[in-house]
Amino acid sequence: MHLFIQFLTNTGYYLGDYRNWLMIVVGCFFIYLAIAKNYEPLLLLPIGFGVLVGNVPFFKGFGLGIYENNSVLHYLYFGVTSGVYPSIIFLGLGAMTDFSSLLARPRLMLLGAAAQVGIFFTLLSALALGFLPKEAASVAIIGGADGPTSIFLTAKLAHHLIGPVAIAAYSYMALIPIIQPPIMRLLTSRQERLIRMPEPREVSRTELLIFPIAGVVLCCFLAPASIPLLGTFFFGNIMKVSGVVDRLAQTARTAIIDTATILVGFCVGASTQGDVFLTPKSVKIFILGAVAFSIATASGILFGKIMNLFLKEKINPLLGAAGVSAVPGSAREVHMMGLHEDPENFLLMHAMACNSSGVIGSAIAAGVLWSFNVI
Amino acid sequence: MYGLEAITHYNGWAQAIIGATIVLAGLSALSFAISQIRVLAEYLERRKSASENGGPPGLVRLSPEEPAPGDLAQTIRKYQQLVQRLASPFSLQDLYAACRKHGFRHPHQSIKMLREAGVLQATGDGTFTWRPDVVSNPISH
Repeated sequence: MHLFIQFLTNTGYYLGDYRNWLMIVVGCFFIYLAIAKNYEPLLLLPIGFGVLVGNVPFFKGFGLGIYENNSVLHYLYFGVTSGVYPSIIFLGLGAMTDFSSLLARPRLMLLGAAAQVGIFFTLLSALALGFLPKEAASVAIIGGADGPTSIFLTAKLAHHLIGPVAIAAYSYMALIPIIQPPIMRLLTSRQERLIRMPEPREVSRTELLIFPIAGVVLCCFLAPASIPLLGTFFFGNIMKVSGVVDRLAQTARTAIIDTATILVGFCVGASTQGDVFLTPKSVKIFILGAVAFSIATASGILFGKIMNLFLKEKINPLLGAAGVSAVPGSAREVHMMGLHEDPENFLLMHAMACNSSGVIGSAIAAGVLWSFNVI
Repeated sequence: MYGLEAITHYNGWAQAIIGATIVLAGLSALSFAISQIRVLAEYLERRKSASENGGPPGLVRLSPEEPAPGDLAQTIRKYQQLVQRLASPFSLQDLYAACRKHGFRHPHQSIKMLREAGVLQATGDGTFTWRPDVVSNPISH
Protein backbone atom coordinates (compact mmCIF):
# COMPACT_ATOMS: atom_id res chain seq x y z
CA MET A 1 0.00 0.00 0.00
CA HIS A 2 2.85 2.36 0.91
CA LEU A 3 4.49 1.66 -2.42
CA PHE A 4 1.24 2.37 -4.22
CA ILE A 5 0.79 5.70 -2.42
CA GLN A 6 4.39 6.61 -3.21
CA PHE A 7 3.72 5.86 -6.86
CA LEU A 8 0.60 8.02 -6.81
CA THR A 9 2.48 10.98 -5.30
CA ASN A 10 5.00 10.76 -8.11
CA THR A 11 2.38 10.99 -10.87
CA GLY A 12 1.78 14.16 -12.84
CA TYR A 13 -1.79 14.33 -11.53
CA TYR A 14 -0.52 14.75 -7.99
CA LEU A 15 2.44 17.03 -8.78
CA GLY A 16 0.71 19.39 -11.20
CA ASP A 17 -0.57 22.79 -10.21
CA TYR A 18 -3.02 25.18 -11.89
CA ARG A 19 -0.25 26.76 -14.02
CA ASN A 20 0.50 23.46 -15.74
CA TRP A 21 -3.19 22.91 -16.45
CA LEU A 22 -3.56 26.46 -17.75
CA MET A 23 -0.65 25.95 -20.14
CA ILE A 24 -2.09 22.60 -21.25
CA VAL A 25 -5.30 24.47 -22.18
CA VAL A 26 -3.16 26.96 -24.15
CA GLY A 27 -1.37 24.06 -25.89
CA CYS A 28 -4.72 22.47 -26.80
CA PHE A 29 -5.88 25.84 -28.17
CA PHE A 30 -2.81 26.03 -30.43
CA ILE A 31 -3.45 22.49 -31.64
CA TYR A 32 -7.09 23.42 -32.29
CA LEU A 33 -6.03 26.53 -34.28
CA ALA A 34 -3.59 24.44 -36.31
CA ILE A 35 -5.93 21.57 -37.12
CA ALA A 36 -9.41 23.12 -37.16
CA LYS A 37 -8.61 26.63 -38.38
CA ASN A 38 -5.48 25.79 -40.40
CA TYR A 39 -3.65 28.80 -38.86
CA GLU A 40 0.07 28.29 -39.50
CA PRO A 41 -0.21 24.54 -38.75
CA LEU A 42 3.48 23.91 -39.50
CA LEU A 43 4.33 26.06 -36.48
CA LEU A 44 1.36 25.86 -34.16
CA LEU A 45 1.07 22.08 -34.15
CA PRO A 46 4.67 21.41 -32.99
CA ILE A 47 4.50 24.32 -30.54
CA GLY A 48 1.09 23.27 -29.20
CA PHE A 49 2.17 19.70 -28.64
CA GLY A 50 5.45 20.90 -27.15
CA VAL A 51 3.43 22.95 -24.64
CA LEU A 52 1.56 19.78 -23.62
CA VAL A 53 4.77 17.79 -23.21
CA GLY A 54 6.58 20.61 -21.40
CA ASN A 55 3.77 20.95 -18.88
CA VAL A 56 3.56 17.36 -17.77
CA PRO A 57 4.56 17.71 -14.10
CA PHE A 58 7.45 15.52 -13.01
CA PHE A 59 9.62 14.82 -10.02
CA LYS A 60 12.46 17.38 -10.16
CA GLY A 61 15.95 15.94 -10.25
CA PHE A 62 15.17 12.95 -12.48
CA GLY A 63 16.76 14.65 -15.50
CA LEU A 64 13.47 14.85 -17.37
CA GLY A 65 12.65 18.53 -17.82
CA ILE A 66 13.90 20.84 -20.52
CA TYR A 67 15.70 22.98 -17.94
CA GLU A 68 17.41 20.01 -16.25
CA ASN A 69 20.96 19.14 -17.27
CA ASN A 70 21.47 15.95 -19.24
CA SER A 71 17.82 15.46 -20.08
CA VAL A 72 16.96 14.59 -23.69
CA LEU A 73 14.81 17.70 -24.00
CA HIS A 74 17.67 19.80 -22.67
CA TYR A 75 19.96 18.53 -25.45
CA LEU A 76 17.32 19.22 -28.08
CA TYR A 77 16.76 22.68 -26.57
CA PHE A 78 20.46 23.42 -26.99
CA GLY A 79 19.79 24.02 -30.69
CA VAL A 80 17.45 26.83 -29.66
CA THR A 81 19.58 28.43 -26.94
CA SER A 82 22.70 28.33 -29.09
CA GLY A 83 20.91 29.83 -32.10
CA VAL A 84 21.69 26.79 -34.29
CA TYR A 85 18.12 26.05 -35.40
CA PRO A 86 17.35 29.62 -36.55
CA SER A 87 20.48 29.60 -38.72
CA ILE A 88 19.44 26.29 -40.26
CA ILE A 89 15.92 27.62 -40.87
CA PHE A 90 17.40 30.64 -42.64
CA LEU A 91 19.43 28.33 -44.87
CA GLY A 92 16.22 26.63 -45.96
CA LEU A 93 14.40 29.95 -46.34
CA GLY A 94 17.15 31.18 -48.64
CA ALA A 95 16.87 28.04 -50.73
CA MET A 96 13.10 28.64 -51.01
CA THR A 97 13.03 32.36 -51.73
CA ASP A 98 12.65 33.70 -55.24
CA PHE A 99 14.05 37.22 -55.38
CA SER A 100 12.99 37.93 -58.98
CA SER A 101 10.15 40.27 -58.05
CA LEU A 102 12.42 42.19 -55.68
CA LEU A 103 15.13 42.46 -58.32
CA ALA A 104 12.55 43.62 -60.83
CA ARG A 105 11.41 46.45 -58.56
CA PRO A 106 14.14 47.26 -56.01
CA ARG A 107 12.34 50.25 -54.51
CA LEU A 108 9.91 47.84 -52.81
CA MET A 109 12.80 47.00 -50.52
CA LEU A 110 12.26 50.31 -48.75
CA LEU A 111 8.87 49.08 -47.54
CA GLY A 112 10.64 46.18 -45.86
CA ALA A 113 12.93 48.68 -44.15
CA ALA A 114 10.06 50.91 -43.01
CA ALA A 115 8.24 48.01 -41.40
CA GLN A 116 11.21 47.52 -39.05
CA VAL A 117 10.28 50.76 -37.27
CA GLY A 118 7.99 48.64 -35.08
CA ILE A 119 11.08 46.97 -33.62
CA PHE A 120 12.66 50.20 -32.47
CA PHE A 121 9.41 51.68 -31.16
CA THR A 122 8.91 48.53 -29.09
CA LEU A 123 12.47 48.78 -27.82
CA LEU A 124 11.59 52.13 -26.26
CA SER A 125 8.27 50.82 -24.90
CA ALA A 126 9.95 47.79 -23.32
CA LEU A 127 12.59 49.94 -21.64
CA ALA A 128 9.84 52.22 -20.34
CA LEU A 129 8.01 49.20 -18.89
CA GLY A 130 11.03 48.21 -16.84
CA PHE A 131 12.76 45.62 -19.02
CA LEU A 132 16.55 45.61 -18.94
CA PRO A 133 18.24 46.63 -22.24
CA LYS A 134 19.03 43.06 -23.35
CA GLU A 135 15.51 41.93 -22.51
CA ALA A 136 14.01 44.97 -24.22
CA ALA A 137 15.96 44.21 -27.42
CA SER A 138 14.72 40.60 -27.35
CA VAL A 139 11.11 41.71 -26.91
CA ALA A 140 11.43 44.42 -29.57
CA ILE A 141 12.49 41.98 -32.28
CA ILE A 142 8.97 40.47 -32.18
CA GLY A 143 8.06 43.54 -34.27
CA GLY A 144 10.06 42.01 -37.12
CA ALA A 145 7.49 39.20 -37.14
CA ASP A 146 10.15 36.64 -37.78
CA GLY A 147 10.15 33.60 -35.48
CA PRO A 148 13.70 32.34 -36.10
CA THR A 149 15.16 35.85 -35.80
CA SER A 150 13.29 36.44 -32.52
CA ILE A 151 14.54 33.13 -31.13
CA PHE A 152 18.08 33.80 -32.31
CA LEU A 153 18.35 37.24 -30.74
CA THR A 154 16.65 36.20 -27.51
CA ALA A 155 18.98 33.19 -27.25
CA LYS A 156 21.94 35.53 -27.52
CA LEU A 157 20.70 38.29 -25.22
CA ALA A 158 18.10 36.99 -22.77
CA HIS A 159 17.68 33.24 -23.06
CA HIS A 160 15.39 33.13 -20.02
CA LEU A 161 12.79 34.87 -22.22
CA ILE A 162 12.97 32.48 -25.19
CA GLY A 163 9.66 30.80 -24.34
CA PRO A 164 7.44 33.89 -24.08
CA VAL A 165 9.19 35.75 -26.94
CA ALA A 166 8.97 32.79 -29.33
CA ILE A 167 5.38 31.99 -28.40
CA ALA A 168 4.41 35.66 -28.82
CA ALA A 169 6.20 35.93 -32.19
CA TYR A 170 4.68 32.75 -33.60
CA SER A 171 1.23 33.48 -32.16
CA TYR A 172 1.09 36.86 -33.85
CA MET A 173 2.34 35.35 -37.09
CA ALA A 174 -0.52 32.87 -36.90
CA LEU A 175 -2.93 35.70 -36.16
CA ILE A 176 -1.95 37.77 -39.20
CA PRO A 177 -5.41 37.28 -40.80
CA ILE A 178 -6.92 38.86 -37.68
CA ILE A 179 -4.35 41.57 -36.84
CA GLN A 180 -3.37 43.03 -40.22
CA PRO A 181 -6.60 43.55 -42.23
CA PRO A 182 -8.18 46.12 -39.86
CA ILE A 183 -4.95 48.15 -39.85
CA MET A 184 -4.72 47.95 -43.64
CA ARG A 185 -8.32 49.12 -44.05
CA LEU A 186 -7.92 51.88 -41.48
CA LEU A 187 -4.83 53.40 -43.07
CA THR A 188 -5.72 53.19 -46.76
CA SER A 189 -8.54 54.56 -48.87
CA ARG A 190 -10.37 52.33 -51.35
CA GLN A 191 -8.74 54.24 -54.19
CA GLU A 192 -5.31 53.42 -52.80
CA ARG A 193 -6.21 49.76 -52.38
CA LEU A 194 -7.26 49.68 -56.03
CA ILE A 195 -3.86 50.81 -57.33
CA ARG A 196 -2.58 48.20 -59.75
CA MET A 197 1.03 47.26 -59.92
CA PRO A 198 2.62 46.68 -63.33
CA GLU A 199 3.83 43.22 -64.21
CA PRO A 200 7.38 42.76 -62.94
CA ARG A 201 10.01 42.62 -65.67
CA GLU A 202 11.82 39.42 -66.44
CA VAL A 203 14.98 38.97 -64.37
CA SER A 204 18.03 37.30 -65.87
CA ARG A 205 19.91 34.43 -64.26
CA THR A 206 23.02 36.61 -63.99
CA GLU A 207 21.10 39.11 -61.83
CA LEU A 208 19.81 36.31 -59.61
CA LEU A 209 23.38 35.04 -59.21
CA ILE A 210 24.88 38.42 -58.38
CA PHE A 211 22.20 39.25 -55.78
CA PRO A 212 23.18 36.84 -52.95
CA ILE A 213 26.82 37.88 -53.27
CA ALA A 214 25.93 41.57 -53.20
CA GLY A 215 23.56 40.86 -50.29
CA VAL A 216 26.26 39.24 -48.15
CA VAL A 217 28.81 41.91 -48.95
CA LEU A 218 26.44 44.76 -48.14
CA CYS A 219 24.38 43.43 -45.24
CA CYS A 220 26.91 41.32 -43.37
CA PHE A 221 29.63 43.95 -43.66
CA LEU A 222 27.18 46.55 -42.35
CA ALA A 223 25.97 44.44 -39.42
CA PRO A 224 28.41 41.53 -38.90
CA ALA A 225 26.25 40.22 -36.06
CA SER A 226 23.69 39.21 -38.68
CA ILE A 227 26.14 36.72 -40.27
CA PRO A 228 24.60 33.61 -38.62
CA LEU A 229 21.24 34.46 -40.17
CA LEU A 230 22.00 36.31 -43.41
CA GLY A 231 25.14 34.30 -44.20
CA THR A 232 23.15 31.06 -44.31
CA PHE A 233 20.17 32.80 -45.95
CA PHE A 234 22.15 34.04 -48.92
CA PHE A 235 24.09 30.78 -49.10
CA GLY A 236 20.79 28.90 -49.41
CA ASN A 237 19.73 31.32 -52.12
CA ILE A 238 22.85 30.95 -54.23
CA MET A 239 22.46 27.17 -54.04
CA LYS A 240 18.95 27.61 -55.46
CA VAL A 241 19.73 30.04 -58.27
CA SER A 242 23.04 28.56 -59.34
CA GLY A 243 21.31 25.45 -60.61
CA VAL A 244 24.49 23.41 -60.18
CA VAL A 245 23.69 21.96 -56.75
CA ASP A 246 20.00 21.21 -57.15
CA ARG A 247 20.25 18.25 -54.81
CA LEU A 248 21.65 20.38 -51.98
CA ALA A 249 19.15 23.18 -52.57
CA GLN A 250 16.30 20.69 -52.62
CA THR A 251 17.47 19.15 -49.34
CA ALA A 252 17.89 22.59 -47.72
CA ARG A 253 14.38 23.70 -48.62
CA THR A 254 12.71 20.43 -47.65
CA ALA A 255 14.32 17.99 -45.24
CA ILE A 256 16.67 20.40 -43.46
CA ILE A 257 14.22 23.27 -42.87
CA ASP A 258 11.46 20.81 -41.94
CA THR A 259 13.66 19.09 -39.36
CA ALA A 260 14.72 22.41 -37.84
CA THR A 261 11.11 23.65 -37.80
CA ILE A 262 9.92 20.52 -36.00
CA LEU A 263 12.65 20.77 -33.39
CA VAL A 264 12.39 24.50 -32.85
CA GLY A 265 8.59 24.37 -32.57
CA PHE A 266 8.55 21.41 -30.21
CA CYS A 267 11.37 22.72 -28.00
CA VAL A 268 9.96 26.23 -27.77
CA GLY A 269 6.59 24.75 -26.82
CA ALA A 270 8.21 22.50 -24.23
CA SER A 271 10.07 25.46 -22.74
CA THR A 272 6.79 26.98 -21.55
CA GLN A 273 6.66 25.12 -18.24
CA GLY A 274 3.90 26.81 -16.26
CA ASP A 275 6.06 27.74 -13.28
CA VAL A 276 8.68 29.37 -15.53
CA PHE A 277 6.40 30.79 -18.22
CA LEU A 278 3.42 32.23 -16.38
CA THR A 279 4.88 35.42 -14.98
CA PRO A 280 3.84 39.09 -15.22
CA LYS A 281 6.80 39.58 -17.58
CA SER A 282 5.29 37.13 -20.07
CA VAL A 283 2.03 39.09 -20.06
CA LYS A 284 3.96 42.30 -20.77
CA ILE A 285 5.83 40.56 -23.59
CA PHE A 286 2.55 39.46 -25.17
CA ILE A 287 1.14 42.99 -25.00
CA LEU A 288 4.33 44.54 -26.37
CA GLY A 289 4.45 41.90 -29.11
CA ALA A 290 0.98 42.86 -30.33
CA VAL A 291 1.93 46.55 -30.25
CA ALA A 292 5.19 45.84 -32.11
CA PHE A 293 3.46 43.83 -34.80
CA SER A 294 0.72 46.43 -35.31
CA ILE A 295 3.19 49.32 -35.51
CA ALA A 296 5.36 47.41 -37.96
CA THR A 297 2.33 46.86 -40.20
CA ALA A 298 1.22 50.48 -39.91
CA SER A 299 4.66 51.95 -40.54
CA GLY A 300 5.08 49.89 -43.72
CA ILE A 301 1.73 51.12 -45.05
CA LEU A 302 2.38 54.75 -44.10
CA PHE A 303 5.80 54.64 -45.74
CA GLY A 304 4.15 53.35 -48.92
CA LYS A 305 1.83 56.36 -48.83
CA ILE A 306 4.77 58.70 -48.31
CA MET A 307 6.62 57.12 -51.24
CA ASN A 308 3.57 57.78 -53.42
CA LEU A 309 3.95 61.51 -52.79
CA PHE A 310 7.22 61.40 -54.73
CA LEU A 311 6.65 58.65 -57.28
CA LYS A 312 5.19 59.11 -60.75
CA GLU A 313 4.18 55.46 -60.93
CA LYS A 314 2.24 54.95 -57.69
CA ILE A 315 2.62 51.83 -55.62
CA ASN A 316 -0.21 50.14 -53.77
CA PRO A 317 0.37 51.10 -50.10
CA LEU A 318 -1.11 47.80 -48.95
CA LEU A 319 2.25 46.32 -49.93
CA GLY A 320 3.78 48.07 -46.92
CA ALA A 321 1.96 45.62 -44.66
CA ALA A 322 4.00 42.83 -46.25
CA GLY A 323 7.18 44.59 -45.17
CA VAL A 324 7.08 42.58 -41.96
CA SER A 325 8.95 39.35 -42.48
CA ALA A 326 6.13 36.92 -41.78
CA VAL A 327 6.64 34.88 -44.96
CA PRO A 328 4.32 34.25 -46.72
CA GLY A 329 1.41 35.04 -44.38
CA SER A 330 1.49 38.82 -44.66
CA ALA A 331 2.05 38.74 -48.44
CA ARG A 332 -0.94 36.44 -48.76
CA GLU A 333 -3.04 38.81 -46.66
CA VAL A 334 -2.10 41.80 -48.83
CA HIS A 335 -2.91 39.81 -51.95
CA MET A 336 -6.29 38.76 -50.57
CA MET A 337 -7.22 42.31 -49.65
CA GLY A 338 -6.19 43.54 -53.11
CA LEU A 339 -8.32 40.81 -54.71
CA HIS A 340 -11.23 41.65 -52.43
CA GLU A 341 -11.28 45.21 -53.76
CA ASP A 342 -10.55 44.30 -57.38
CA PRO A 343 -10.66 40.65 -58.49
CA GLU A 344 -8.04 41.36 -61.15
CA ASN A 345 -5.52 43.09 -58.93
CA PHE A 346 -2.81 40.52 -58.31
CA LEU A 347 -0.41 41.80 -55.66
CA LEU A 348 1.15 38.54 -54.52
CA MET A 349 4.43 38.78 -56.43
CA HIS A 350 4.99 42.36 -55.33
CA ALA A 351 4.04 41.57 -51.73
CA MET A 352 6.52 38.69 -51.71
CA ALA A 353 9.22 41.17 -52.72
CA CYS A 354 8.41 43.29 -49.65
CA ASN A 355 8.27 40.14 -47.53
CA SER A 356 11.74 39.03 -48.63
CA SER A 357 13.18 42.44 -47.89
CA GLY A 358 11.45 42.29 -44.49
CA VAL A 359 13.35 39.07 -43.73
CA ILE A 360 16.64 40.77 -44.60
CA GLY A 361 15.64 43.93 -42.68
CA SER A 362 14.70 42.12 -39.48
CA ALA A 363 17.92 40.09 -39.59
CA ILE A 364 19.94 43.32 -39.92
CA ALA A 365 17.91 44.83 -37.06
CA ALA A 366 18.67 41.76 -34.94
CA GLY A 367 22.37 42.11 -35.72
CA VAL A 368 22.30 45.80 -34.83
CA LEU A 369 20.48 45.20 -31.53
CA TRP A 370 22.87 42.38 -30.66
CA SER A 371 25.91 44.56 -31.32
CA PHE A 372 24.40 47.40 -29.23
CA ASN A 373 24.00 45.06 -26.28
CA VAL A 374 27.25 43.13 -26.39
CA ILE A 375 29.42 44.38 -23.57
CA MET B 1 13.42 52.08 -13.25
CA TYR B 2 10.50 52.89 -15.53
CA GLY B 3 9.26 55.37 -18.13
CA LEU B 4 11.29 58.06 -19.83
CA GLU B 5 13.86 57.87 -17.06
CA ALA B 6 14.61 54.24 -17.96
CA ILE B 7 14.81 55.02 -21.69
CA THR B 8 17.26 57.85 -21.08
CA HIS B 9 19.28 55.88 -18.54
CA TYR B 10 19.77 52.92 -20.89
CA ASN B 11 20.51 55.14 -23.89
CA GLY B 12 17.28 53.96 -25.52
CA TRP B 13 16.71 57.03 -27.71
CA ALA B 14 20.12 56.72 -29.34
CA GLN B 15 19.70 52.94 -29.82
CA ALA B 16 16.32 53.39 -31.47
CA ILE B 17 17.31 56.25 -33.75
CA ILE B 18 20.69 54.83 -34.78
CA GLY B 19 19.27 51.33 -35.14
CA ALA B 20 16.41 52.43 -37.38
CA THR B 21 18.79 54.57 -39.42
CA ILE B 22 21.23 51.69 -39.93
CA VAL B 23 18.44 49.34 -41.08
CA LEU B 24 17.00 51.94 -43.44
CA ALA B 25 20.45 52.87 -44.78
CA GLY B 26 21.40 49.22 -45.21
CA LEU B 27 18.31 48.32 -47.15
CA SER B 28 18.47 51.53 -49.19
CA ALA B 29 22.05 50.67 -50.15
CA LEU B 30 20.99 47.14 -51.03
CA SER B 31 18.06 48.51 -53.03
CA PHE B 32 20.43 50.79 -54.97
CA ALA B 33 22.87 47.94 -55.50
CA ILE B 34 20.05 45.75 -56.82
CA SER B 35 19.03 48.42 -59.30
CA GLN B 36 22.61 48.45 -60.58
CA ILE B 37 22.82 44.65 -60.79
CA ARG B 38 20.66 44.80 -63.90
CA VAL B 39 23.11 47.14 -65.61
CA LEU B 40 26.03 44.93 -64.66
CA ALA B 41 24.22 41.76 -65.72
CA GLU B 42 23.27 43.27 -69.09
CA TYR B 43 26.87 44.35 -69.63
CA LEU B 44 28.15 40.88 -68.78
CA GLU B 45 25.60 39.24 -71.05
CA ARG B 46 26.41 41.59 -73.95
CA ARG B 47 30.09 40.83 -73.58
CA LYS B 48 29.35 37.14 -73.47
CA SER B 49 27.17 37.17 -76.58
CA ALA B 50 29.62 39.46 -78.37
CA SER B 51 32.51 37.15 -77.68
CA GLU B 52 30.40 34.21 -78.87
CA ASN B 53 29.38 36.04 -82.08
CA GLY B 54 32.75 37.66 -82.61
CA GLY B 55 31.16 41.13 -82.77
CA PRO B 56 31.93 44.24 -80.77
CA PRO B 57 30.52 44.43 -77.23
CA GLY B 58 27.41 46.51 -76.64
CA LEU B 59 25.74 45.62 -79.96
CA VAL B 60 22.06 44.77 -79.51
CA ARG B 61 20.30 43.15 -82.45
CA LEU B 62 16.71 44.14 -83.13
CA SER B 63 14.30 41.97 -85.01
CA PRO B 64 13.03 43.72 -88.18
CA GLU B 65 9.48 42.67 -87.24
CA GLU B 66 9.75 44.22 -83.78
CA PRO B 67 6.86 46.67 -83.27
CA ALA B 68 7.80 50.16 -82.12
CA PRO B 69 7.23 50.55 -78.36
CA GLY B 70 3.71 51.78 -77.69
CA ASP B 71 2.35 50.87 -81.15
CA LEU B 72 -0.81 49.00 -80.21
CA ALA B 73 -1.90 47.99 -83.72
CA GLN B 74 1.47 46.48 -84.56
CA THR B 75 1.65 44.74 -81.20
CA ILE B 76 -1.81 43.22 -81.73
CA ARG B 77 -0.79 42.06 -85.21
CA LYS B 78 2.34 40.42 -83.88
CA TYR B 79 0.71 38.80 -80.86
CA GLN B 80 -2.26 37.59 -82.93
CA GLN B 81 -0.07 34.92 -84.53
CA LEU B 82 1.21 33.85 -81.16
CA VAL B 83 -2.17 33.68 -79.43
CA GLN B 84 -3.62 31.56 -82.25
CA ARG B 85 -1.21 28.81 -81.23
CA LEU B 86 -2.50 28.82 -77.64
CA ALA B 87 -5.71 27.19 -76.45
CA SER B 88 -8.34 29.75 -75.42
CA PRO B 89 -8.63 30.82 -72.65
CA PHE B 90 -4.93 30.87 -71.81
CA SER B 91 -2.86 31.94 -68.82
CA LEU B 92 -0.43 34.85 -68.93
CA GLN B 93 2.27 32.42 -67.88
CA ASP B 94 1.70 30.44 -71.13
CA LEU B 95 1.74 33.65 -73.13
CA TYR B 96 5.04 34.74 -71.55
CA ALA B 97 6.50 31.31 -72.19
CA ALA B 98 5.45 31.53 -75.85
CA CYS B 99 6.93 35.04 -76.10
CA ARG B 100 10.23 33.80 -74.73
CA LYS B 101 10.20 30.78 -77.04
CA HIS B 102 9.72 32.96 -80.11
CA GLY B 103 12.19 35.62 -78.96
CA PHE B 104 9.67 38.46 -78.53
CA ARG B 105 11.26 41.51 -76.94
CA HIS B 106 9.67 43.40 -74.01
CA PRO B 107 6.84 40.91 -73.45
CA HIS B 108 5.91 42.48 -70.07
CA GLN B 109 5.52 45.92 -71.59
CA SER B 110 3.56 44.62 -74.58
CA ILE B 111 1.25 42.40 -72.52
CA LYS B 112 0.61 45.26 -70.11
CA MET B 113 -0.38 47.46 -73.07
CA LEU B 114 -2.65 44.74 -74.45
CA ARG B 115 -4.32 44.29 -71.05
CA GLU B 116 -4.86 47.99 -70.60
CA ALA B 117 -6.36 48.24 -74.10
CA GLY B 118 -8.75 45.41 -73.22
CA VAL B 119 -7.41 43.15 -75.96
CA LEU B 120 -6.41 40.66 -73.30
CA GLN B 121 -9.51 40.20 -71.16
CA ALA B 122 -9.51 38.37 -67.83
CA THR B 123 -12.06 35.61 -67.50
CA GLY B 124 -11.95 35.88 -63.71
CA ASP B 125 -10.33 32.52 -63.03
CA GLY B 126 -6.77 33.56 -63.75
CA THR B 127 -6.99 32.99 -67.52
CA PHE B 128 -7.39 35.45 -70.40
CA THR B 129 -9.14 35.62 -73.75
CA TRP B 130 -7.97 37.42 -76.89
CA ARG B 131 -10.35 40.22 -77.93
CA PRO B 132 -8.78 42.35 -80.66
CA ASP B 133 -12.29 43.49 -81.65
CA VAL B 134 -12.52 45.84 -78.64
CA VAL B 135 -10.00 48.19 -80.23
CA SER B 136 -11.66 50.92 -82.33
CA ASN B 137 -9.51 50.14 -85.40
CA PRO B 138 -9.46 46.40 -85.45
CA ILE B 139 -6.69 44.79 -87.39
CA SER B 140 -7.42 43.02 -90.63
CA HIS B 141 -6.79 39.31 -90.76
